Amino acid sequence: MSATLQLRIPNRIEELSGVSEAVETLGQEERWEQDVTYAIVLSLEEVATNVVRHGGGEPGSGEIEIEVTSSDDEVRVEVRDGGRAFDPFHEAPEPDLDAGVEERKIGGLGVHFVKVLMDETAYSREGGRNHVTMVKRRS
Amino acid sequence: MNVQVENHDKVLVAKVEGRVDSSNSQDFERQLQGAIGEDVKAVVIDLGQLAYISSAGLRVVLLVAKTLGQRNVSISLCALSDPVQSVFEISGFNRIIQIYDTQADALAAAG
Repeated sequence: MSATLQLRIPNRIEELSGVSEAVETLGQEERWEQDVTYAIVLSLEEVATNVVRHGGGEPGSGEIEIEVTSSDDEVRVEVRDGGRAFDPFHEAPEPDLDAGVEERKIGGLGVHFVKVLMDETAYSREGGRNHVTMVKRRS
Repeated sequence: MNVQVENHDKVLVAKVEGRVDSSNSQDFERQLQGAIGEDVKAVVIDLGQLAYISSAGLRVVLLVAKTLGQRNVSISLCALSDPVQSVFEISGFNRIIQIYDTQADALAAAG
C-alpha cells in the first residue's frame, strides 16, 4: 500500500492544526502504529512552526508545501518553503536536557524531538527554497 | 483543548483534555495560569485526557513550573499516556518535574 498527501498552506500558525488532522486521517487509512502517527504529526508541527517563526516575512505572506508519503516500510515527510535560509537541524539551539527547572531555557526542544523521533533527517537549500526531509521507518 | 480545575484543600488539580499544539498553546497558558490562585500550596496537572502535546505545550508547562517554583509551590504531573510520557522523557522534563502514574498518587504526595 502506498499513499501520498500533498498540502499547500499559508505560513501561519493557525493553519497547522488542519495539517495535523489531515496527517492523522492518512495515518488511520494507512494503519500507522500509534507511535508512528505521534512522531509524524509532532515532527511536522515542529518543523512547520519553525518555518513560520524563523522564515521571515509577515505571517500569511508565503506558503509552505507539505508532502507525506506512506508506504509499507516507511513514512516520508517533505517540507518546502521560500523563506529565509534556515537549517533547523544545525541552526536551532540545542536544549540543555540536564538543567534544573530554574536554569532550563525555553526553546530548542522542537528540533530535538524531530532528531530523536525520526530515523532520517536532511536539509537542503534548492533554488532559493528550504527543503526539509524526514523519514520514519514503520518497523 | 480544555482545562478543568478542581480544588482539593489547597491542592489545585488541573485536568487537561484534548490537544495542545502551537496553535492553542497561548490559550493553554492563559487557562492554566488563570486557574492557579494565590493560596494554593501544590498544583497537580492531570494529563490523563491529553491526546497530544508538542514543544509549544511543554514550554507552557516549564513556564508554569518556573513561576510556581519561585513561589515555593510544588508541581507534579500525572496519568500520562504512553506517547505523552515519551515526549516528556525525550525533553528531559521527567527529571525536573515529578510525574505520578495516577492522580491519587500525585494527591497523596502533594498532601
